[in-house]
Amino acid sequence: MIFIFLGIALTLSILISLFPNRIVFATGSFFYVLLHATLTVYSYNKLGIYDSVYLRFDSLAVLLNALLSILLIPTIFHANLYFRRYVKDVRKEAQFVSAMIILASAISSVYYAENIVVMWVSIEITTLAVSFLIYHNRYETPLEAAWKYLFLSSVGIAIAFLGILILATQSASSESANLSVSYLASVASQMDPFFLKTAFILILTGYSVKLNVFPLFAATIDAKTVAPSPVNAIISTALVNAGFVAVFRVYSIVNQTETNSWAQNVLLITGLISISLATIQLFRIKRYKRMFAFSSMEHVALILIALSVGKAGYYAALLHLVFHTLVKGGLFFQFGQVRAFFHSGWIKDSGGYFVLNGTGSLAFLLGILSILAIPPSGLFISEFLIFKALFSGGYLVVGIFVLALLTVIIYVIVSKTMHLLFAEIPATFKPEAAFVNRFESVSQFILFAAVIYLGFNPPNVLTQLIHQTIQLLN
Amino acid sequence: MVIVLIVMFAATLVYFFLSERVSNFIWLLAVQGVILFGIAFNNLLHIQPLGLILILLETLIVKAIVIPWFLNRLRQKNELKRVHESQIPVFYSLIIISAILIGSFLLSYTIDNEIIQLRFFTVALATVIGGMYFIVIHKNIFSHLVGFLIIENGTFLLSLAVGGEMPFLVSLAVLLDVLIAVLVIGVFLNKVKDTFDTISVSKLNKLKD
Repeated sequence: MIFIFLGIALTLSILISLFPNRIVFATGSFFYVLLHATLTVYSYNKLGIYDSVYLRFDSLAVLLNALLSILLIPTIFHANLYFRRYVKDVRKEAQFVSAMIILASAISSVYYAENIVVMWVSIEITTLAVSFLIYHNRYETPLEAAWKYLFLSSVGIAIAFLGILILATQSASSESANLSVSYLASVASQMDPFFLKTAFILILTGYSVKLNVFPLFAATIDAKTVAPSPVNAIISTALVNAGFVAVFRVYSIVNQTETNSWAQNVLLITGLISISLATIQLFRIKRYKRMFAFSSMEHVALILIALSVGKAGYYAALLHLVFHTLVKGGLFFQFGQVRAFFHSGWIKDSGGYFVLNGTGSLAFLLGILSILAIPPSGLFISEFLIFKALFSGGYLVVGIFVLALLTVIIYVIVSKTMHLLFAEIPATFKPEAAFVNRFESVSQFILFAAVIYLGFNPPNVLTQLIHQTIQLLN
Repeated sequence: MVIVLIVMFAATLVYFFLSERVSNFIWLLAVQGVILFGIAFNNLLHIQPLGLILILLETLIVKAIVIPWFLNRLRQKNELKRVHESQIPVFYSLIIISAILIGSFLLSYTIDNEIIQLRFFTVALATVIGGMYFIVIHKNIFSHLVGFLIIENGTFLLSLAVGGEMPFLVSLAVLLDVLIAVLVIGVFLNKVKDTFDTISVSKLNKLKD
């Protein structure tokens, strides 16, 4: 089924780029979203079954693919607005849609990959698609970002491949390297701890470029600073989740051995360094998208810290991942409106948004409150669970340190948001050029409201998928 | 025979740090591709014919011909001749790469694993670390691409050290993936040169806040 999905997606992508026509790519993208949703429903019904030797329908894949299916719907709408505002060239628009289909399909392939080399190949494809999406409008600054992203990601992925090769040496068979996650997990207890640790470090380092955490986060931050908002909504959420899946799969292998406490310490250190760096960097930012990029880094760091606590933190980590995906996606969509309103992404060029656009500013404020985990945001629940796990697990100093950093982050982000909403209207603002679509904030309100609802009343299907994902670690 | 090829491969690694001419970098990559072909041919004769053909295609056609040809086109289009911008003098770089080789040798012989072929592993590890060091000491993006390809060659050698054969489809996907990545990086390099009129990373600094 997944091979059929990938085949149709590739055909659609080629057709759209070959026939640059608005009707073709509008129909094509609508059909793709439908296809993606069908894959999610199908895989949910086939939960736990292998689709082939290389791919498997497991709970984590279904959960994250469902989130991507949800996000793709507003992405079509906001991409269309983006075209009307900035592109106005049907050929470039078709290339954009075509690359977006490749990106979403590659991300889904990462989610469902049972073989870690297939996962690696899919992650490399996401790099190429993202580089193209950043640079599709052929401007100077995006070119710099695309180059840095492409190069650093390629180096990171090469490092991850080293880790995979080292894991292959431990797969117990000298005849053929069996690199399926379930097989590796089953033989993990026979692996040499030194090689397992080396492989884990290399894979975590390599995929940190996708996870947007220390050490290879720089290129991702730059990419998010210049990427169009609809692209950002995917690469800051679904692509980060793809990085998470890659690390989670390897962690599920390591977790079968006595090396698991060592791996948890590595995750904890990575999380702590990342959240510290994000806090420091937030003081320096001058652009909103950069602020959101460092905010993503903070949230992924929190997820890694929750994973490092062990069983007590797994549920909180996964719940946080789900909520972050919905909120961050919505925030980037909403920022697309702000960017179009002020014709700039710089903080200094914004102000008075509350007076100028009441509905848009309310959506933005709701998004900021949600991402800062201020009640009633669902992220408040997941962060509460993370700190509960930290304190009950004896990580008192870590918990207090992270709380202190979160306080600083809240201060910085709120102060920048207050500037946007209540500062004086900038002299550069041109009311006649401010274009707002009246339905533009609807999807954001829905996403933010969904996170509030899911926080207080998570449906059975969500909690079941999370609990089944936790079972993958045992 | 294989030992001779491995020593030659290590020599090419050292020569990367002696050279300042862009054309030499390209030649060295082509030579590494041919050496990898020799090593793979000697080492993997027992595997499935299809897998063997693919690996030979990867080394002899892609690494020794296609990529050097593509890099040469990039060199001509962007009028690249010499790179003078290494941040560390050649003498110190030679000492460092020698230290990397010796360090890899010492580290490898502490490994007690019957699956890993240490004769490959030693040079593979040094090549990967050497490639990273090559990227760090150079300031232009063409040299960075060369450094990336050195790492890729090291990774290939490491896969031989591991000994296990990957499924054909997976190997094919990895090959295509790497090839496309190199081609796309090359295209972006052209764009950077056209847009910024230089390939020095010191000019790529507009993203900082």
